[in-house]
Amino acid sequence: EAQLSLTHLDPSTIDPTSARALWLAHEASTHSLSQQLTEHLRLILAPTLATKLRGDFRTGKRLNLKRIIPYIASGYKRDKIWLRRSMPSKRSYQVMIALDNSGSMADSGASNLALKTLTLVTRSLSMLEVGQVSVVGFGDDVNVAHDFDKPFTSEAGVRVFEQFGFDAQKTNVRGLVDRSLQLFQEARQSGGGGGGQGEDLWQLMLIVSDGLCDDHQSIQRLVRKAQEERVMIVFIIIDATATAAAAAAAAPTTPAENTKTSILDLQSAVFTPEGNILRYKYMERFPFRYYLVVRDVRELPGVLAGALRQWFGEVAGSV
Amino acid sequence: MDFDAAETKVQIRLTTRDPGLQISEEPNILLVQTSLTRHKLSTLVNELLHREENRIPFDILINGQFLRTSVDEFLTKNGINAETTLDVEYTRALVPPLNVTSF
Ligand SMILES: [Mg+2]
Repeated sequence: EAQLSLTHLDPSTIDPTSARALWLAHEASTHSLSQQLTEHLRLILAPTLATKLRGDFRTGKRLNLKRIIPYIASGYKRDKIWLRRSMPSKRSYQVMIALDNSGSMADSGASNLALKTLTLVTRSLSMLEVGQVSVVGFGDDVNVAHDFDKPFTSEAGVRVFEQFGFDAQKTNVRGLVDRSLQLFQEARQSGGGGGGQGEDLWQLMLIVSDGLCDDHQSIQRLVRKAQEERVMIVFIIIDATATAAAAAAAAPTTPAENTKTSILDLQSAVFTPEGNILRYKYMERFPFRYYLVVRDVRELPGVLAGALRQWFGEVAGSV
Repeated sequence: MDFDAAETKVQIRLTTRDPGLQISEEPNILLVQTSLTRHKLSTLVNELLHREENRIPFDILINGQFLRTSVDEFLTKNGINAETTLDVEYTRALVPPLNVTSF
């Protein structure tokens, strides 16, 4: 696997040659994992076979009780009172992958694992052919690196890589969720996913980040709004500490690299307006409900499938 | 819970050269508000050392420079942003001599 360092490159982006080499290296190294994830997703994202009973028909399997009184009141004229089992409709997806382009990603060593994750997920979704894929980068603001309406080819992957330098000065996750809800709305209106009707269009957002962000309360409000708009958000936290530890064992490192802290152990210390110090584990107040922590890209197919299965169990089963 | 306002936070790695004042808790990395000043950071270190009853005033050095403003202003002045983990060293504050002319 290519050990391509990003540090000596142009500070704002990866140069085209390196982007291509890096994409191809990640594509090759995650190939079998992509297939594994595709298989998981095929089972989870396919429309359920047990279909619902739908009205209103003149003959059918079961009476639609809501239609009985209007039926009598109409003098037995409005006789579409039966429910039938309908065929499963084709479901299509719009999946947005939001990759953290902020400086902390480079600082923590999460950037390479994040790009690998991006490769794995986008390859897998392309193989699955369930809908459209877009990629955005976020930091101070949001950059659409790949649009929903273009196919996500290997060439597209290279173009996406070119737009990441992991040097944004802020991690504006609130701004990201806000903007992406707009993008999802626009994408829904443009009749995306190939479904046309938009009725069986499902929208999913995967945030790939080290998980460090401010303003948790505003984010929580936006996450609720996303839920109302039926946009599913899964936060993939790249926890590069394991990689850092492995590197530390392999080669002598500076003390700074030895003291990497997993986000699961990270402590917050906050002064209240009254001047008291509140200390708590950062993850205890993490504003996203569906999140997973990835230390090794090999874990991703399993844990991502697990999170999506849980979501489908809770949400998709009830609609 | 308005303590988690829209404030910027930054990770700090607390160290000291004084062997008697090491923080025993692990890990030594904390996420704090960038609005903090020397005084608040000194208060925080005292809490981490469980010295609420017998506080020691600390001077704070970030990346080797004495902190005289808020962390936020320090970052701006030095062209650093809150995306990097800061090395924060605490050291007993030097009490200025009370009467320098009396010799
Ligand atoms: Mg960041």
